[in-house]
Amino acid sequence: MLLIDQITFSYATDATPYCFSLTLERGKIATVHGQSGSGKSTLLDLIAGFLQPRSGELYWGNEAFTRKPPNLRPVTTIFQRNNLFEHRTALDNVVVGINPSLPKHGNEVDRAIDALKRVGLTDQIYQRAATLSGGQQQRVAIARVMLREQGIVLLDEPFSALDPQTRAEMLALIQTLAKEQQSTVVMVTHDQRDADAIADVQFQLHNHELTERAL
Amino acid sequence: MHNRLSSHLSSHLPGLVPGAFTAIALLCLAALLFYQLTALPEFSSLSLGPRFVKTLGWSTLQATLSTLLSLLLGCAVAWALSHQPVFPGRRLLIALLSSAMVLPTLVVVLGLVTVLGRNGWLNQLSEQLFSVRPDTWLYGLGGILIAHCYFNASFSARTLLTRFESIPAEQRKLSQALGLTAWQRFKLMEWPAIATAIPGLATTIFLLCFTSFAIVLILGGSPKFNTLEVSIYEAIKLDFNLGRALGLALAQLAICATLVALNTTIKSFDRSISARSRSLNNFRDTPGNQLLQIIIILLAGCAFLLPLMAIVYDGWSADLAGIIKDPQFIQASLTSITIALISTLAVLLLSMALTVCHTSLSVSHRIGNFALARWAARFISFSATLYLAVPALVLGFGFFLIARQYGGANNYWAATALVTANVLMVLPFALVTLLPASAKAANKYDKLAFSLGVSGYSRWRLIESALLRNELIYVASIAFCMSLGDLGIIALFGSQDFITLPWLLYQKMGAYRTTEAAGIALFMLILTLVVFLLFPKLVKRNYAVN
Repeated sequence: MLLIDQITFSYATDATPYCFSLTLERGKIATVHGQSGSGKSTLLDLIAGFLQPRSGELYWGNEAFTRKPPNLRPVTTIFQRNNLFEHRTALDNVVVGINPSLPKHGNEVDRAIDALKRVGLTDQIYQRAATLSGGQQQRVAIARVMLREQGIVLLDEPFSALDPQTRAEMLALIQTLAKEQQSTVVMVTHDQRDADAIADVQFQLHNHELTERAL
Repeated sequence: MHNRLSSHLSSHLPGLVPGAFTAIALLCLAALLFYQLTALPEFSSLSLGPRFVKTLGWSTLQATLSTLLSLLLGCAVAWALSHQPVFPGRRLLIALLSSAMVLPTLVVVLGLVTVLGRNGWLNQLSEQLFSVRPDTWLYGLGGILIAHCYFNASFSARTLLTRFESIPAEQRKLSQALGLTAWQRFKLMEWPAIATAIPGLATTIFLLCFTSFAIVLILGGSPKFNTLEVSIYEAIKLDFNLGRALGLALAQLAICATLVALNTTIKSFDRSISARSRSLNNFRDTPGNQLLQIIIILLAGCAFLLPLMAIVYDGWSADLAGIIKDPQFIQASLTSITIALISTLAVLLLSMALTVCHTSLSVSHRIGNFALARWAARFISFSATLYLAVPALVLGFGFFLIARQYGGANNYWAATALVTANVLMVLPFALVTLLPASAKAANKYDKLAFSLGVSGYSRWRLIESALLRNELIYVASIAFCMSLGDLGIIALFGSQDFITLPWLLYQKMGAYRTTEAAGIALFMLILTLVVFLLFPKLVKRNYAVN
């Protein structure tokens, strides 16, 4: 279970601080809505560890991870773009998620190939990331998430650049991922239809605070 | 298609004329200079001199080493700076690195001699500490390499820093989240970002070092390390052997033309002087890496600042009042500043004429939809980039021959040669700066301007003067500084009654009047930094153009 216990943050000392609280069970998907600049990306950066809160704690299960560096947190993020090292193959981009020294073969590579097959990229395993379509690139990112098996998956408007058909496929993949791996998914989105399609719970970010929307 | 031509060509024709005229004039000048070189009576006694092959060999070795070292150092500094986005003085250091390309060569060389020379600060320190005064090693290959690295490592650090900082924020977050080591991060993320810039950068630096004149003239120490430029100068001024000067000039021309042709992507210097810092995204480097970065920044900062501080220190203790009252200094300053101002004005006018013409010919919604128009656009930009392949001294030699043939006052020819050379030197860089901005303005506002019937001066006032403002300011400051600091042509034309600041400085250094030289150098340094760093800040406005 992901528990965000009253973390506060502000970019400048005199600015009104953000204050976030949230509880989400394993296997559940939450969406976060709000206008541009309302702090959606700030929330994700705080969970992922790219920003450090001023106070409050973050828990995964019973364990606090507030002070851990990003790579030791039980978190994987998928951004809107630039998720991949573009000059590398799809395979390298997945393997790097479990072994940054990029072995050429072995168990880790086999698992990465498996993951790529599961997201439907059987024919693109050795293709350079730059030559993949937008949807295929996001699939590679999802394959990496599957392999890392971190409990928390953060999505920062990951599909807003894709066409409706591809989008629907991606949402289905995310749902499978949450179910199979019992991951907790937090997704920032502008699109109400996306949210209605997969969210178990929806949050609204307004005036620096997070409130649950009535469904 | 034909309707399009008839409706648009007439409205764009007046804009084409000045640019076409400029391009034709530039090509005629090139042809005239080439004709002068080959029509010389000494053409029959053409020779390369006994040292030609050795000179070529040493210059190639020297330029190769300079290029490799500059790139390596530049890369290390850019890496360290990009990983340390916040520290006091960062903006200033980056601004100074950007100004390295326009710092007067002689001023830096004097600074290096003051720090590293026989009686330099380093030797004095070693004598005080260990009572040993090492022999000087500054004259020869070592000195040449250090001076070349001073300019070109700064240049490549500035260029590569932009590449490092263009890495998307998501990728940097990703590399943190994956826990990549500094080396893995470099290999996966940073090297691909900078690699595409390396070939162009390397060719540019190689060309600069291969044709280096002032640095080799002063720090070379012996003819052994001469570049072809210095050999040409010596053949003209010391040996009066025009046949050999000619042979060397033609050889130099052929080599440079080949190099420039190989390097088809001539890039502008990096325009942004201060890079933006990202205070909220630290890199979480290991303490060891952080320490390494801080050491690199401190060393680079010291190496860059020490020679300049030596100039400031020595110049300050010189008899400044006496120097300023010296009629020679006054004459040199007036000449230099006048020539720099005329050159700047000429660069602005000519580059704008070429730019307007090129944009009209290449933007497809004007008249650029024809093969002929595309060829004409290429012809326009070729007329200026052609001069990248002409080393300043070869150009000066051409003027020297014209002057000899037609006679007339030396001063008149000297001023003409200086202004022409300065303009031709800066024009290619002015064009690569202005062309993209102009094309962008055309794409963004042409439809609106055409539909409102805005053209001519009112169009310039509404659109180009605003959208090209920062580019024009940059071109102006670069043109002024490069003109002010150049010691090339003036070495051929300088005389008792025609002196510029670099020429005066060169003479004072040659006569070992070091403190006087430092005073003059300080004046040049301040003038350059004010024009390059302060002037753009004062007149710049920010328009949100995307």
